[in-house]
Amino acid sequence: MADSNSKRKSYTADFIKSDTDEAVFLGNPLMDDMMTSIIALGAEVWANRRRTRIIELLMEKEGAVTREMIEAYVPTEDEEAEMRDERDAFIQLTYGHIARTGEDQTALDGSAKTNPGKASANETDDDMTGDAGMGMGG
Amino acid sequence: MMNRRTLFGASAATASFVGALFGSKKASTATTTSSKFSSADVEPRGSKGRLERLPRQHLEAQHDFITGFRVFANRDMTSAARRRIAKIMRAKGIDPTKRLSYKEVLGHVGGDPLVAASARMWLSAQQINWKTLYDEFHGNANAYLAEMEATDNAGPGTLELNPDMYIPEYLTHEIHIQPGGYVGDEFAGHIYHYGTNNFFEGRNDQDELHIGLATAMPEPEDGKVVRVLDQGCSCGQLSVALKERFPDAEVWGIDVGGPMVRYAHMRAVDIGIDVNFAQRLAEDSKFPDNHFDIATNNIMFHEVTTEAAHEILAESFRVLRPGGVYYPIDFYTGNPAPKGVFSTFRQWWDSRWNGEPWRLDYAKFDMAAAMRKAGFIVNENGPPSRRGARRNILGTKPT
Repeated sequence: MADSNSKRKSYTADFIKSDTDEAVFLGNPLMDDMMTSIIALGAEVWANRRRTRIIELLMEKEGAVTREMIEAYVPTEDEEAEMRDERDAFIQLTYGHIARTGEDQTALDGSAKTNPGKASANETDDDMTGDAGMGMGG
Repeated sequence: MMNRRTLFGASAATASFVGALFGSKKASTATTTSSKFSSADVEPRGSKGRLERLPRQHLEAQHDFITGFRVFANRDMTSAARRRIAKIMRAKGIDPTKRLSYKEVLGHVGGDPLVAASARMWLSAQQINWKTLYDEFHGNANAYLAEMEATDNAGPGTLELNPDMYIPEYLTHEIHIQPGGYVGDEFAGHIYHYGTNNFFEGRNDQDELHIGLATAMPEPEDGKVVRVLDQGCSCGQLSVALKERFPDAEVWGIDVGGPMVRYAHMRAVDIGIDVNFAQRLAEDSKFPDNHFDIATNNIMFHEVTTEAAHEILAESFRVLRPGGVYYPIDFYTGNPAPKGVFSTFRQWWDSRWNGEPWRLDYAKFDMAAAMRKAGFIVNENGPPSRRGARRNILGTKPT
């Protein structure tokens, strides 16, 4: 894990490796891995969409584009806001259905429903206070 | 005060430097050593205020996605899972706000696909987050190590590394499943800083959260603040903010992770803030008795064992001067702690699968009682540490 250059002084210590790669939430480790893959693919698709947008902006502004110009480009605040909206729409398009319809399409015993009803949006969130926004795990 | 960017004349490195440095790993070393700038200052895409931009457009875009995905996971998926859990519990005739053991909670909701997906998606994003950063910093290790070496002995502020220091085993796991944890990776500070930055969903790019905590920091009643201690300082954001809040005070940030304080020092030098960072334990800080006017920490206690928590409180009491204040910022424990099935479920998977092994013990820890036991006068309704908080525990060392 530490630097491969042995001439350098190391400031690391031994550590205990996490076993999170073995976590199974979705009933089968392959399903869990596929979820990770789908999210990673989302990151790659978004990174390429963002790069395309930057190329378009550079073409409009400069008439030409090089790899160095793309790497160095810093979007304006307006451009950043536009891309943020586009990103959030992309995430909703690709993943939002899991949150929106998951409640409808599974019965309370976890089995699939044949005739899903409308999702309830009226339940309150009052059973958790104080944890949001702190730490790295909620 | 001159900062390192000014010193090196490299406020935003040129595009050609970017291409040469990160066009290939092979080019990295050659360009770094031949740059007209200091070979050390790796900031190829400049800074956004005090946040150095991630060094490649693609990596920045990946983290932009992770930021957005965390918003989705924390809001949409969490809300859906919370509603789902409430529905399951009500169907079973159990009040969802009831406090149950995590084993009982798992028995009721652990097999539900939506609830499971909410945890899975959060953890998958966390894994992708760390991997992208790990690959970046290790893939260009020479440049980043040279950058740290160049500031190890630079000022403002000082850096103390203790590579032979005893490190308790309880601190050696991969906290938050960060590769190598806080002690086992040379780039622990780099990875932590950027990996947590997207957790804050863009609201802490300029350390706004930490500045807010420092702004809310209570002072001793006599108003005397000569020395301030930040325990478990990680990459030093609160330490820096405390120095800005108390510019005439001597501020120390200590952390078990050598790579953590090394990065914290480098960053403070870069920003031009005079903070002293040291690799030391909060429970064995080596400072003299009655030395500090304020001691604090941010989200540290849920990362330590109950035994260590008591030791840290005793040490904090020792190093504070009479009248000095102790202000530990973390999740509520004891009676004000969150209750309910959803919270217990989330605490469980966070503890078990997100590298927070002491979190469940911490949830049962009565911080106020432990502080009293250590000798503090405790105000359980102290001033809130952050927006949205109702209160924070405040300890005072009796005069």
